[in-house]
Amino acid sequence: MNNTAVFTSEFNRVFRFFLQELKPRGKWLTPFNVISIPIIIVGLVILYFRFVYGLGSVTNLSQEFPWGLWIGFDVVTGVAFAGGSYVVTFVVYVMRNDKYHSIVRVTVLNGLLAYVFYAGALVLDLGRPWHIVNPIIGNSFGYNSVLFLVSWHFLLYMIAMFVEFSPVIAEWAKLEKVRKFLSALTLGAVIFGITLSILHQSGLGALFLMAKPKIHPLWYSEFIPILFFVSSIYAGLAMIVFEGTISHKVFKDLIGEGDHKRNEEIVLGLAKGAAITMFVYYFFQALLFVHEQRWNLIHDFWGFWYLVEVIGFVLIPCCMFAYAVRNRNLGLIKVASVMALLGIILNRLNVSVIAFRWYAADHYYPSWQEIVVTLMVISVEIWVLRWIITRMPVFSKH
Amino acid sequence: MEFYTYVNIFETKGLEYLLLLSFLALFILLVRYLSGYGKKDPDAGDKTSKNSH
Repeated sequence: MNNTAVFTSEFNRVFRFFLQELKPRGKWLTPFNVISIPIIIVGLVILYFRFVYGLGSVTNLSQEFPWGLWIGFDVVTGVAFAGGSYVVTFVVYVMRNDKYHSIVRVTVLNGLLAYVFYAGALVLDLGRPWHIVNPIIGNSFGYNSVLFLVSWHFLLYMIAMFVEFSPVIAEWAKLEKVRKFLSALTLGAVIFGITLSILHQSGLGALFLMAKPKIHPLWYSEFIPILFFVSSIYAGLAMIVFEGTISHKVFKDLIGEGDHKRNEEIVLGLAKGAAITMFVYYFFQALLFVHEQRWNLIHDFWGFWYLVEVIGFVLIPCCMFAYAVRNRNLGLIKVASVMALLGIILNRLNVSVIAFRWYAADHYYPSWQEIVVTLMVISVEIWVLRWIITRMPVFSKH
Repeated sequence: MEFYTYVNIFETKGLEYLLLLSFLALFILLVRYLSGYGKKDPDAGDKTSKNSH
């Protein structure tokens, strides 16, 4: 057989295999399906109205409040949650710590899907979504814009993460030569990805630098980029613990016995990293508080709200992580992870939505349609994640 | 005529330096505290691995 015939037969095999894998598996009537399917259907109907009649038909966004839940939660918070991917790949591939090797694939997959869906949700929020390609194709590059940096970084980082995950796809499709080639690219993609991540995690914070008069002074600082970057580290670690807890229950049959046993040490290590990062982040906040002389700002509602965020959802979970690591208390680590994640949601929403134009007479509240679409984005991501995990060798048992 | 001037650390950078120094001291303590994790049950891992063989 010549090369063309070999390629054609191999292509046909992979295509038939892919079609075979598209067929649904397992039970349909699960609690998650029962809840998520109506959400997805209603969300799709809302998106139809959004794209036909415009943003104003389904959202409470206005000229005064152009950024709402879709940017504040889906994009700004979702990208912070995906931070675990660059942290774990750095630890495994650059620091050569094999302890966390078993969670690399699932963490990269989570990160990739988070970027595709949450950063992809940016399309929903653009008044003219077809302009999203402008920074990429050179039609009005906008070199001076932070969004120029962020959009290029999102695109390149998604490609880097796809390259990192691609050996799993090749292994699943039984393309051994392709898998070896893609595996050889992994280290380069990881280093490229880490560089991009550090820059665009902080770049998302830099987006708010130009909104100084609109953000409450307790949340505005010229160091927002650094705060966003540091908090993305512990957000990612807490997210791995949170997702890992669910994965070990939902996909317990797919996870090898060795990984079940190693899980405790991995969770303790992640919690240790989270405790140290949160401690650093808390002191950054304290130092900024003193440096910018915010004493007079904490006597009203906004001051108490700020203390709730920084003490209630940073300092307290930080102490919980440290205590739980010391005493090997996995239950407490899970609680601390949830609190840390809530703290990240609170911080990102405070900067982008809640404390944004805090002085205005009318405040922005998300419409029910915005909430349903956000839930739809999360549900679809979980559907895709589940489809991939149940088919591809993401966990070690395969 | 010279006179003593009271320096208010709240109005100068004094408090920032104190905060930074306390951070460095506490950071070392935290890392030391976390480095001793699992000391309460040091044999747990060995027992598990022995049983699994």
